[in-house]
Amino acid sequence: MPLIDIKHLSYAYREENGEPVPVLKDISLSIEKGEYVVILGHNGSGKSTLAKLLNMVVDDYEFAEGEINVEGINVLSEDITEEDVLNLRKTVGMVFQNPDNQLVATIVEEDVAFGPENLGIPNPELRERVDNALATVGMTEYAHHEPHRLSGGQKQRVAIAGIIAMMPRVMIFDESTAMLDPIGRREVIDTLEMLNREKGITVLSITHYMDEAARADRVIVLDDGKVLLDGTPAEVFSHGDMLRAAGLELPQCTALCYELMAAGLELKGPFNTPEQCAKALAKAWREKEGC
Amino acid sequence: MKGFALGQYYPADSVMHRLDPRMKVIMAVAYIVASFLCKNFYTFVLLLLSAVFLVLASRIPLKIVFRSIRALIFIMAFTAVLNIFWFVEKDAEPLLQWRFITIYTGGLYNALFILIRIVAMVIGTSIFLTYTTSPIALTDAIERLLHPLAKIKVPVHEFAMMMTIALRFIPTIVEETDKIMSAQKARGADFTTGSLMKRAKALIPVIIPLFASAFRRAGELATAMECRCYHGGEGKTKLRILKYHVRDFLALFCILLFIAGIVVINILGAKFGWLYTM
Amino acid sequence: MSKKKKQIEAEAMASVEIIHPAENPKLRLLNVSYVYSKGTPFEMKALDSVSLDIHPGKLTGIIGHTGSGKSTMVQLFNGLTTPTSGKVLLDGEDIWAKPKEIGKIRFRVGLVMQYPEYQLFEETVSEDIAFGPKNMGLPREEVLERVAESARFVGLPPDIMDMSPFDLSGGQKRRVAIAGIMAMRPEVLVLDEPAAGLDPQGRRAIFSGIKQYNRQTGCTVIIVSHSMEDMAEFCDDVVVMAHSKVLMAGSRDEIFAHADKLEAVGLDIPQITRLALMLVKEGLTFPESLYTVNYAAAAFKDAFGLKEGGDV
Repeated sequence: MPLIDIKHLSYAYREENGEPVPVLKDISLSIEKGEYVVILGHNGSGKSTLAKLLNMVVDDYEFAEGEINVEGINVLSEDITEEDVLNLRKTVGMVFQNPDNQLVATIVEEDVAFGPENLGIPNPELRERVDNALATVGMTEYAHHEPHRLSGGQKQRVAIAGIIAMMPRVMIFDESTAMLDPIGRREVIDTLEMLNREKGITVLSITHYMDEAARADRVIVLDDGKVLLDGTPAEVFSHGDMLRAAGLELPQCTALCYELMAAGLELKGPFNTPEQCAKALAKAWREKEGC
Repeated sequence: MKGFALGQYYPADSVMHRLDPRMKVIMAVAYIVASFLCKNFYTFVLLLLSAVFLVLASRIPLKIVFRSIRALIFIMAFTAVLNIFWFVEKDAEPLLQWRFITIYTGGLYNALFILIRIVAMVIGTSIFLTYTTSPIALTDAIERLLHPLAKIKVPVHEFAMMMTIALRFIPTIVEETDKIMSAQKARGADFTTGSLMKRAKALIPVIIPLFASAFRRAGELATAMECRCYHGGEGKTKLRILKYHVRDFLALFCILLFIAGIVVINILGAKFGWLYTM
Repeated sequence: MSKKKKQIEAEAMASVEIIHPAENPKLRLLNVSYVYSKGTPFEMKALDSVSLDIHPGKLTGIIGHTGSGKSTMVQLFNGLTTPTSGKVLLDGEDIWAKPKEIGKIRFRVGLVMQYPEYQLFEETVSEDIAFGPKNMGLPREEVLERVAESARFVGLPPDIMDMSPFDLSGGQKRRVAIAGIMAMRPEVLVLDEPAAGLDPQGRRAIFSGIKQYNRQTGCTVIIVSHSMEDMAEFCDDVVVMAHSKVLMAGSRDEIFAHADKLEAVGLDIPQITRLALMLVKEGLTFPESLYTVNYAAAAFKDAFGLKEGGDV
């Protein structure tokens, strides 16, 4: 059974004038345990709403239809209990976009403790979880620092530690790299990939950076509230026109390779990363020089 | 605004810093009570000495302590003057009489006593509560001390949570204010010239974005807290373990002894008619 | 040229070596240093004797890591911060010659700060754009004309002009904020990370709007960004900052010819440039440094002997 199973999910929010505005339209997808999935889409494609539904933090459920199952918890059912909601949030951890607006405490380690404290984890287990989480994201030496003195990437790593300390099975990154500089972005991406590979946490990363998508196991493209593409990065990247129409852009090297192929050059993919593209082009070059 | 530090917490390694924050709250209250119990000259001398002792024991540089007293200089001068001029000592020779002004020796002493009391209270509370205790430890201590009140539906946890969040966000918002002011200056806003009214009006382009952003932050923070399973204080555990040590009880014993000493001097003073009883 | 101006010029040329010198620099930094929180334990040198020219009419990109001094530099350009030492010259004149009139400099050098959408405050979009021009004391008609003009440049549709800026989408808010500075018709437009946090479509729209503005008005434009790929595509000149100093400055061709230098200070060079560097090791040769997909595609087609103008 998949870890997250979404069937025919539709969602709309109510505008001030009372009109419902559709955001998600009949989405069906399932996510297996251990996957590293990137969800792409331009601003307003509905990707953040999807993430929020998975954690039950949207404002109202009046226009929510369909089914969301997370580890046996039926999220949209009428008779969901408070305990179910807490269990859901314990299973699915969320890291948000703005690093400043998700840290609660004035000391790094106390912020990391916030989640497990809410779960009622007693000491010494609590202390152990906090220390482990900080070590995992490499922020141990900052345990007693004030969050507002950290860099964006460091704040985001503290936020990640705060989720890890709750020991979730899935982590959702809702544009968690959008406000960071390249160094901060790399810190966060390295951390999330490490969590997926080494800790076996299922990762769902929402972004509009194509180079992040290139590194995932699977890419889902949302456009206008619907699933436009769903497959490996290579499969998704082969639909350059559809991506462009959805307000996205191929990574530069990938775009170049496709353009050269269209002009008649024979290349063998994949073309997800500059390294792969270089390999393919070098091979073609050697063949050309050879003859 | 860089290097902006919240509160006046002065990190150092001293006995005072190491005391349990809960004990420090209790001691601060006890110290204020003690300062009000002082009735005669000797008790005030003792009070002044105790204040000096507190400063020395906390290892806070004198310069910093004076800064907090300086902030109150106006109030202190005002009360002192009031006491000097308005004090009427029956059946006593005035020290000085000029037109409608009459000054008695008792008045001078009274003013001196009040000054000592204010200084001692400022030093006492700031040493116990702000200089040697971080704001977050203080909030924590108050929450734990008031915890029994939660049983009669006093929102102790909520109050502490509010304090924590305020402490967390004040530096962020100060920084943001700075940024918005720069941004509006870049559009020609002028915050420094013109009448008071004009300057107040000039702040509108700063205040509105600031509020808008504070609400946005509040919304995002609330969502993030929900995602981290926040559901009020019920069943919430705490990372920070507070434990009373022997030194805490010793400190408590000292302050009780101090209060007892003041009471004894008071009684003796009343009996033998020692100097200038208030 | 006034006497004073000449004197400053002479003084400057005699003592300081200027990076990327121009004949008539729009902006010139002369030995500028800036120190934060001087005399406190937090003291930090943000800029270390920088001398640099910004060429008139050009679109100049400033790149560097967070903390490399680039954000400090842009605030020095319009007098939001005062240099600790050194001079900032606008058209050859010291902007701090009359400190009381620094407000006028801010109208001549317009600065769009990072995440400028958070500074919107008026009831309607057009009033918000009008805030700057109104502060300049312009007559009502002129203000209205400028509002309409700058709204066109950033691509704001007329029907949103009477809406509250708080009801717009993130990308639209950003454009309103940029229009608010353009409406002051500054001689130099400085933008700090104008596309931060936007999706690819939004980024492209903002950058091409700015480029168009630069080409049509001839206004000198300075953009600060981390995104090397955007810089490579849109800028004429590039300034690279590292460790509070200017590492290199020059035309985009000159800078990207030193892509290895950029990589050495840990800056992300455009993907396509990295690809080209990898292939050079394999024995391919290219006539020039490659930094945009279009250039690269042409160069590769050439190298592989493919026909120009094939399917795209």
